[in-house]
Amino acid sequence: MKPLDPRLLGYARAARAFLAAGALIGLAQTACIVGFAWFLSQVIVRAIDGQGLHELAPLIAALAGVVAARALLLWIAEVTSTRGAARVKSQLRSRVLSAVTRLGPGWMAERNATSVATVTGPGLDALDTYFSRYLPQLILTAIATPVVVLVIFLQDWPSALGVVLTLPIIPVFMVLIGWATQTVQKKQWRLLNSLSTGFLDVVGGLATLTLFGRAARQAERIRSVTEQYRVQTMKVLRVSFLSGFVLELVSSLAVAVVAVSVGLRLIDGSLGLSVGLFVLLLAPEAFLPLRQVGTQFHAAADGVAAADDVFEILDAESSAASATAVDATPDRPSAGALVLTGFGAAYGDRPVIGPLDAEFPEGSFTAITGPSGVGKSTLVAALLGFVGHTGVVALGGREIEVGATGLDWISWCGQRSGLLAGSVFENVTLGSRSPDRALAARALAVAAADEIDLDRMLGVAGAGLSGGQAQRVSIARAVYRALERHSSVLVLDEPSSALDELSEARLVEGLRALRESTTLTLVVVTHREAVARAADSILALEPAAMAA
Amino acid sequence: MRTTEILRLAQPGARRFAPGALLGLLSALCAVGLLATSAYLITRAAEMPPILYLNMAIVGVRAFALGRAGFRYAERLASHDAAFRTLATLRVGIYERLVPIAPDGLTGTRRGDLLTRLTADVDELQNLPLRVVQPLLVSGAVAATSVITVWILLPPAGLALLIALVLAALVGTAANGLIAARAERSIAPLRGAFADEVLDTVVNLDVLTAFDATGSRLAAVERADARLTRAVLSSAAGTGVATGILSVLAGAASIAALLVGIPALGTAGFDGPVLAIIALVPIAVFEVISSVPLALSALRQVRSSAERIGSAVPEIVPPEIPTDRAADARRTVDPANAVIELRGVSASWPHESSPAIREIDLTVSPGDRILVTGPSGSGKTTLAHVLVRFLEFEGSYRLGGVDARSLPLAEVRRTIGLSEQTPYLFDESIRQNLLFARDDASDDELIAVLERVGLSEWLDQRGGLDARVGERGSLVSGGQAQRIALARALLADFPILVLDEPTANVDPGRADALLRDLLSASADPDGRRAVVIISHLPVPAELITARLRLG
Ligand SMILES: Nc1ncnc2c1ncn2[C@@H]1O[C@H](COP(=O)(O)OP(=O)(O)OP(=O)(O)O)[C@@H](O)[C@H]1O
Ligand SMILES: Nc1ncnc2c1ncn2[C@@H]1O[C@H](COP(=O)(O)OP(=O)(O)OP(=O)(O)O)[C@@H](O)[C@H]1O
Ligand SMILES: [Mg+2]
Ligand SMILES: [Mg+2]
Repeated sequence: MKPLDPRLLGYARAARAFLAAGALIGLAQTACIVGFAWFLSQVIVRAIDGQGLHELAPLIAALAGVVAARALLLWIAEVTSTRGAARVKSQLRSRVLSAVTRLGPGWMAERNATSVATVTGPGLDALDTYFSRYLPQLILTAIATPVVVLVIFLQDWPSALGVVLTLPIIPVFMVLIGWATQTVQKKQWRLLNSLSTGFLDVVGGLATLTLFGRAARQAERIRSVTEQYRVQTMKVLRVSFLSGFVLELVSSLAVAVVAVSVGLRLIDGSLGLSVGLFVLLLAPEAFLPLRQVGTQFHAAADGVAAADDVFEILDAESSAASATAVDATPDRPSAGALVLTGFGAAYGDRPVIGPLDAEFPEGSFTAITGPSGVGKSTLVAALLGFVGHTGVVALGGREIEVGATGLDWISWCGQRSGLLAGSVFENVTLGSRSPDRALAARALAVAAADEIDLDRMLGVAGAGLSGGQAQRVSIARAVYRALERHSSVLVLDEPSSALDELSEARLVEGLRALRESTTLTLVVVTHREAVARAADSILALEPAAMAA
Repeated sequence: MRTTEILRLAQPGARRFAPGALLGLLSALCAVGLLATSAYLITRAAEMPPILYLNMAIVGVRAFALGRAGFRYAERLASHDAAFRTLATLRVGIYERLVPIAPDGLTGTRRGDLLTRLTADVDELQNLPLRVVQPLLVSGAVAATSVITVWILLPPAGLALLIALVLAALVGTAANGLIAARAERSIAPLRGAFADEVLDTVVNLDVLTAFDATGSRLAAVERADARLTRAVLSSAAGTGVATGILSVLAGAASIAALLVGIPALGTAGFDGPVLAIIALVPIAVFEVISSVPLALSALRQVRSSAERIGSAVPEIVPPEIPTDRAADARRTVDPANAVIELRGVSASWPHESSPAIREIDLTVSPGDRILVTGPSGSGKTTLAHVLVRFLEFEGSYRLGGVDARSLPLAEVRRTIGLSEQTPYLFDESIRQNLLFARDDASDDELIAVLERVGLSEWLDQRGGLDARVGERGSLVSGGQAQRIALARALLADFPILVLDEPTANVDPGRADALLRDLLSASADPDGRRAVVIISHLPVPAELITARLRLG
């Protein structure tokens, strides 16, 4: 880690005011340090010279004033630095999260959600130290150390020389150790990440693990990752404590050298006590901020290790954004046939659906069929902009910039039900600006789910419903949206895969009724004959298309 | 787990803890000693005595300087190592308490919150020895030593230092508590809530994007972040006030020493150098005890984290979740004689008022192929959960001739396998996802079982068993995920296999072939395996031996 990471400073710019305030406070604090040492040494020296309390009263009062000012400054410094750090962190957080949402589900599919959540949570928390402790101390060092050294120099140049000669050891040493710890620190961060992702993956699949008698064995894995994490953390700490030790030692010895040299020169009378005492009190202060920088350096480096992941996300987003920097056309076509020309999609360099032409007339009902894994869901994902596509998508004769144009034109129900914790009503009206109970009830009816209570509460990932119930609620959610936003196209991916024949028939009936009352174009991916039979036309995807 | 129990676990035992505390004390005493001796050295030197008189002080200054740094290094290593050792136990403990109630007792447990309990909250506990116990012990000892030393040099100055120290501890702690106590107790839960919001957003990104709900989700995340930030800032304000108060009192102690010391100058044994000592010692002592007001604030955060760890898992297991309590640990089921007999079995989900299945009768003997049908929501999956003992039942359920309650849960699950309706794939390679069903399976066996479910061609396309399937199978198609799960269940070779909608996401041609393979005798040469299949798709009558219709 460099002492100053320019990328992080780029974001710290958001808190420029806080850095400037930090500098001002640092300046005032330095004045207090010098003042305190000066007045205290003066009082002691004059008292030894025989002055009484009465004569010393003004000096003591000044000392008290400095003490009060110093305390006030400490408080202000603490509050402004944490406030500034918090602001920078919140800003980074919301930037990362909105970057993730803009990168979208296609990008997310290849990543682990827990890992992304760990980056924005504990990862950015670790940057707290960087902004609230490390940077302010760095500023203070830049201000206080030269001033203090200068004051010492003016009073007694040999002492200043001693300080100046030892000071540079500290940053040099810090940089060396910084290099040495970088990889260890990265490893520690990775371990925390894998502890988190592994844990949630295991919790999510606990049912499966229990069924196969593997739950107990996972405990061993958690234990071993935690143990590795501890070992790695201790490795990091050992080095960082070592650097702390060197800093402390250098500064302690420098103070000791100053004290002894001052003492010796006092004995031969070449130096006055007032200067000697003053210099003695000031010498440690020259080292203090730098020592603090050293201590915070490693705590801050933790955050910087996590910051790499943050920048990876931000960089991915900015390159993705520049690639698709088209001006959004908000006046989307609202009706007409959906036409795909030369439409293809690929994962990386593995094409999944070869260029195909298809037309879905307005108000039509098309079933997409084909063997499992042929690319039906991929086609749908490409229509939603989750997967990149080639060729042209046109609605009502006008080309649509998938994703960039907004998604109001299309409503979608995925192959997984993807319900959220909350009530059925909240699920059905997801994304609605003004949730409407009557419309939600109608959507449930279309989806053959009218027996499900809108106020029923669902657990994590929609737990509490049977497979088929969850599927129908998820269909209702898409129907609600299509009705509320007047979408042109409603895409359902395997809507009846978890339904018995009777429910399926009711669903088909519901869809037929929906067609009669709207101009919605229905596109339904299905393996089931009953659904395919109800469609006007069938688009059968062939595995051959995969090879094309 | 109770909070006190967790705190006891977090505090290392005396043998581990003592070295760190002792080294910390030595280092702190050295810091005070360094300042005192250097002040003495210089003021005494100003009287220009023969250098001989100062040798002791010169040696002392150097020794204290070395000691302060050296002891501090050793102390930090010792105390951190001790603090970390117990954390592994706590983390594994959280997981182990989850296992018995999974999956049906965990539907209300928010994942992000659970994760912060495992990571951030457990990490917080290390502050108990590091920021609470040790600082209090060391500060107390250093303060006492310093007060006594100063008292010997000049009693009123000792008294002044004592008063300043007591005031600092009391006022600092009180002021800090007043400003920050509430916020500090709320930090840990707010952190959990924040993680929850973030995880919810990221996990459901596809749905949220498709429904234009990312904006409102991000707003919710930002609100959670703002609440957390407010709490953190309040805590910082408390810290700032405590630091400020301490700094004032440190100055006041020095000034008080001057006020009582200066008039006393020249009296018996009290001279300039001693005045310097009593005026400067407070500076060093206060640096050491500055951790006291913050110790209580750390304790508040540690306690709230400990409470959260304790309540990570619902304390009371709902009666609908089976436990091993009534089981006889040695009892086993003979695979050759694994017969299921249900008589009048009913079962309910936790927190539901009415049972999801009522009065079910079912017999499954070796070699049987039983088809379970019924409308959506009629209780087919519920029945499967009863069979593998995820859910408790009423009525009579005998397995291998004995009451299922008397069998250890693990034994029931060794006998009866279940391929779930919504299978879970782990964010690992295909191989790992299969291997945990039978970890001694060779690659050839894995490929063979994938061939059985029709995935061998796809496997080649993906570059073999090392291909990743993504989080919850995000990199494979719906039907492929289901078939990987099916392959897993086949691999494990259970005497009785329950298949919950095994072909729901598969095309009709493939589904038919799969059903024939699963249900025909050829799949199982000695004809001993029993299969209970839950299906909405029509199953050829010749493949099954009996049916059960629910609802
Ligand atoms: N995110 C992804 N990255 C890489 N490959 C993927 C990804 N998602 C799916 N695939 C692969 O692309 C192919 C097509 O998948 P898709 O989900 O579109 O199939 P499908 O036709 O919907 O199948 P099913 O009927 O089983 O749902 C499959 O071989 C699948 O393994
Ligand atoms: N985790 C749960 N908590 C509470 N109730 C539940 C839970 N899971 C299912 N239920 C309810 O229990 C009843 C039976 O559900 P079950 O999942 O057994 O139905 P199913 O026959 O499998 O239906 P499907 O064909 O739709 O999968 C339903 O009314 C359902 O709402
Ligand atoms: Mg699909
Ligand atoms: Mg079911």
